Amino acid sequence: MNEHIVKAYEDELNMLTAECARMGGLTEAAVADALEAVVRRDQQVADSVVARDERLDVLQADIERKAIRMIALRQPLANDLRRTVAAMKIANNLERVGDLAKNIAKRTIVIIDSDPMVPLTRSIERMGRLVVTRLKEVLDAYTASDLERAMSVWSRDDEVDEHYNSLFRELLTYMMGDPRTITACAHLLFVAKNLERIGDHATNIAEIIHYEITGDEVIAATRPKTDPLQRP
Amino acid sequence: MPQPTSSLPLRPRPGFVARPVVVTGLAGLLALVAMALVTDAEVLAALVLAAPLTALTLFQARRARQEADRLRAELAQTHVEVAEGALSLPYTSVLNALPDPVMVISAHEPDDLTGRRFVMVNRAGRRVLKIQREAGLLVTAIRDPDVLEVVDEALFGGLEGEAVYEPGGMQERIFRVYARPLGAAGDGSRLALLVLHDETDIRRVERMRADFLANASHELRTPLASLSGFIETLRGHARGDELARDRFLGIMHVQAERMSRLIDDLMSLSRIELNEHVRPLQDVDLSAAVLDVIDALAPLARDKGVTLEAEAPPRGEVTITGDRDQVIQVAQNLVDNALKYSERGGRIRILLETGLAAEACVAPRMEPAARLSLLTPDHGPERYATLSVIDAGPGMQREHLPRLTERFYRVEGQKSGEKLGTGLGLAIVKHIMNRHRGGLSVESRPGAGTVFTAYFPLAETGAAPAPDNFYDVAKLS
Repeated sequence: MNEHIVKAYEDELNMLTAECARMGGLTEAAVADALEAVVRRDQQVADSVVARDERLDVLQADIERKAIRMIALRQPLANDLRRTVAAMKIANNLERVGDLAKNIAKRTIVIIDSDPMVPLTRSIERMGRLVVTRLKEVLDAYTASDLERAMSVWSRDDEVDEHYNSLFRELLTYMMGDPRTITACAHLLFVAKNLERIGDHATNIAEIIHYEITGDEVIAATRPKTDPLQRP
Repeated sequence: MPQPTSSLPLRPRPGFVARPVVVTGLAGLLALVAMALVTDAEVLAALVLAAPLTALTLFQARRARQEADRLRAELAQTHVEVAEGALSLPYTSVLNALPDPVMVISAHEPDDLTGRRFVMVNRAGRRVLKIQREAGLLVTAIRDPDVLEVVDEALFGGLEGEAVYEPGGMQERIFRVYARPLGAAGDGSRLALLVLHDETDIRRVERMRADFLANASHELRTPLASLSGFIETLRGHARGDELARDRFLGIMHVQAERMSRLIDDLMSLSRIELNEHVRPLQDVDLSAAVLDVIDALAPLARDKGVTLEAEAPPRGEVTITGDRDQVIQVAQNLVDNALKYSERGGRIRILLETGLAAEACVAPRMEPAARLSLLTPDHGPERYATLSVIDAGPGMQREHLPRLTERFYRVEGQKSGEKLGTGLGLAIVKHIMNRHRGGLSVESRPGAGTVFTAYFPLAETGAAPAPDNFYDVAKLS
């Protein structure tokens, strides 16, 4: 009888991780599709990203409910408690990433209306791919409980920022050169900002994984940080 | 493809055990009826007849029960094996030898997410999906929602399905996933087969053709327009002007050379990109390759009044896994680039280090400077050899760094000497490094110079472990 209870408990814990992983898969697909919608100027793909966002919200609420139920009924301790809390926090981050992807998809409508700007879309694509890779790697680290891999994502956060800063300047140049591009460029700027935020969420998830595995918080000072606003 | 279900012991049919018991009962009943009906003399005969019949049927019933017990025991064992992971299929060695990833998935209930597990993955599958275990939760191996959907349809709907799957990582790969229902296993769980077929080559060729045409037509138009302009002038009013003709022919020659360089570089880039997911496997002596490049470029450096300084271990000491021609191309492009941006009297340092971990490869070599990793290999335990090319040229502002490997990108306001580059050099370097599973980083400070660092995974020391499927296959024959 005891064994049965323990097994159910373990199953519930595994279930939380599995649901987070599945939600991660859906989020990854949403970001990748939103990026594709912008780059290939595909309205249909954009619409499907917007439509799928609701599913992510439902999943997030579901994971949160299950985690709270778990804490209330099973009173997990130490490792198990951290796993439960981590699942809840990761689901929150993923839900935010989904919202950002939806926002990118919504901007596609305006971007498609303007003339194509090939070099700009290329820069967005490059930055987007970097962010998608980042998200994928951190979720891989989560499902494999691989601390080292999570930390390698965490320590390379500044690459996305550098791309964002470079893209920001590129967009400014375009807008100054031809005021007709301002509308589209402003939207692309938000797309870039959203991508940068998705990168930040990937870093957050890496920190949560660190907490889940070690029980310690990451010491923020060890990360090389570049701030474009505080340059000499 | 063997049907794995056929190997699973089937659940014994209910009638199989029950039938002998019924037969025994019938025989006994028959004897009793006979006893009641016939005279005393015949009773004995009836008993004689009935006794062996009963004994025989009883014996058969026991054997059938034993058989059923054995089957049930086997079944229980299979169940345990499925639960703990290693579902043993026939021809495991054959499956492992297959180049395409193959996976068997089991599940109980449609709404039980943790119930969906992979119970067998062949070697190719473990490599592509980066999983160490033979069994585990399906979502820890594949998260792609499209793939999960076709798996569900195969498991619970009994439908065959297809999806496109990109496993991610630095080298882009594209797989077509085929899901096939395998029916029910002995313990009542449902099984499905997942086969991944690599379509990277096909997709790449498609895209490359489009990219090549777009790039070539765009970049060749400028020199071509200039050429035809001069031809028109030479045919027109400059027909008799010898001085102008010499000058124009000179310019036309330079433009034609530029076009041919551009085509060479574009072709070379296309070739590298086409094979980017195929890792080169030769052993290459990095020291020798770099020292050869320095020797080859020495005359050019002398002409420009630039000194090349190499700090490298002697030949034969640093062995990497790679493609020798491409390694040379990397060294050549980086040194060539440094030469272009160096001024007369300048100095270029070429630094070769070995045995570094990935983090140490991108450690600063110039302080203070803006730093950016242009290519980071997938996380792994590899050790690397680095090639750093350090120039004292004009350097670049930080915002240019992320775009350096972009095709035809030029840092504004910089002159790359008289010999204009094609704008593809660093793009070629990046793709070669990615093919080698290496990395590339840049450091730069305006007015101080630039450092490019390319790092290659070192060749594994000692004999490479023989693939174990080799023995499996040998055992089969």
